[in-house]
Amino acid sequence: MIDVRDVSRSFGRTVALDHVSLRVEPGEIVALLGPNGAGKTTASRIIAGILAPSSGDVLVDGISVRADPGRVRVRCGMVTDQPSLYERMTLRAYLTFFCHLYDVAEAGPRTEELAELLGLTDRLDQRLGAFSRGMKQKVAIARGLVHDPPVLLLDEPATALDPETARSLRTFIVSLRARHRAILLCTHDLDEAQRIADRVVVLYRGRVAREGLTGVLRAAGPPRFVVSFTGEIAAARDALASVGVTAEPANADNGHAALRFDADEPGTTNPAVLRALLDGGLRVITLTREERSLEDAYFAIVAEAREPETRERNG
Amino acid sequence: MGKAALIAWREIRWEIFGDRGAVIRTGFFALLPILFVMSGRGVQGGPNDISLLVLALQSTLIPALSGVALIASTFTQEKENGTLVPLLASPVRDIDIVVGKLLGMVGPVMLICAGSLTVFYVLGSMLYGASRVANALPPQILFALLVVAFLYLITAGSWVLIIAAVVRTTRAGQQIAGLMIGLSAAVFAILGVAASRIADGWALVGLGLFFVVADIVALEIARRVWQRGEVIGRL
Repeated sequence: MIDVRDVSRSFGRTVALDHVSLRVEPGEIVALLGPNGAGKTTASRIIAGILAPSSGDVLVDGISVRADPGRVRVRCGMVTDQPSLYERMTLRAYLTFFCHLYDVAEAGPRTEELAELLGLTDRLDQRLGAFSRGMKQKVAIARGLVHDPPVLLLDEPATALDPETARSLRTFIVSLRARHRAILLCTHDLDEAQRIADRVVVLYRGRVAREGLTGVLRAAGPPRFVVSFTGEIAAARDALASVGVTAEPANADNGHAALRFDADEPGTTNPAVLRALLDGGLRVITLTREERSLEDAYFAIVAEAREPETRERNG
Repeated sequence: MGKAALIAWREIRWEIFGDRGAVIRTGFFALLPILFVMSGRGVQGGPNDISLLVLALQSTLIPALSGVALIASTFTQEKENGTLVPLLASPVRDIDIVVGKLLGMVGPVMLICAGSLTVFYVLGSMLYGASRVANALPPQILFALLVVAFLYLITAGSWVLIIAAVVRTTRAGQQIAGLMIGLSAAVFAILGVAASRIADGWALVGLGLFFVVADIVALEIARRVWQRGEVIGRL
């Protein structure tokens, strides 16, 4: 289990993390989201015990990262966004080297087990420099798993992977959750986070801007609808504007023109929208509720977090 | 120290012997003792004892200069390629990483230094007579030469390590290592002149003492600079 307690970290005058608290339970995947420079990588490095917090503490399986970073490192497996491999080494030598660093008793069998798990058995005696980017990323994942850690810190693990490999990686991460691993996934890939994360923590400028269950965050905000129709989009937008509804173009499955709009009170707004479109001479085909994506929620959260500084800038 | 040895072994096996270019470059230093021995042929009656000592000192120490460049490039490359992060994330002590990397570089270079001294000794014996060379370079002087080379490597390596922690690119690291090599070569030349005047092995003793003090200072600074938080903060 990961328990981040009121952690701050500064580099000179730059505050990378500002009183951040979060928890990841065993068997849970938590996605750590945020724009570049939000503090995701700093947070994962503090949890991994390679960077000391300026204040606050992190407990990994009850062990304080301040008191005993060495024991914390034994419990964490870290996968970085860049594979960062020793490219002159063979896969076998590389994984065996890390098995020895982590005091894995049976280094040889463990190396072969990991290679098989990630489909790299036939590459065991090849130099890593000859591997493709996707294969290198798989090796980085294997490196993070050599000691079968209870806590996994994944920093953009699917970077540069082809869709097929990214999908198999997702399946693999989910299988680790089933084995009661606590997994913190730092990512910019909101689709990936939406698919596999149980909870989401959004960081903005080193602070937690929002935290919650993925489904709850996605459902936040007024209900959203898509109306499809035959006719001009501009005319339809004008019709909706006349009843006080702001709409944006959307893709309709049926090939017709479509508009997307939010409705705080669908019972009142939707009949008004339909009436306005019909009065404008447009033929309505469908009116459906659209599920919000994590991307929508994320942008709303970041915009909200950014609001005070935007206001300040505008005087 | 088991993990330091593991890191050292990896450096030797995969970064030095895995890089043909590095092997060829360091092999170049095998030519130096031949040149040094030949340089004494022009002197009537061959070089005197002091000259033999100075030439032996240079045959031993100049190959050590290659070690400085090697240490600089190994650390800056690790920083540049990000390979330090997985190493720092593993349960290895900071001092094991520093010592392991230093030993991984110092070990092979020491072998080259010893080889170079051996070639100088054998060639010198063939050209100027075995008894003369044995008289000028008794076993304790040969041992002292190797100890000085080792101390020089640890000293220069530690200082290069400190610089490598601060600079951002391999090129900058190599440029600074180049400056250090130039400075060392100048110091060795001056020492050669000093040794020829002071006579006996006192210059070696003085040089050894200087390196011991510099070692203690440099290793302590290197240990502090290479703490995980400091390194990660700069990556």
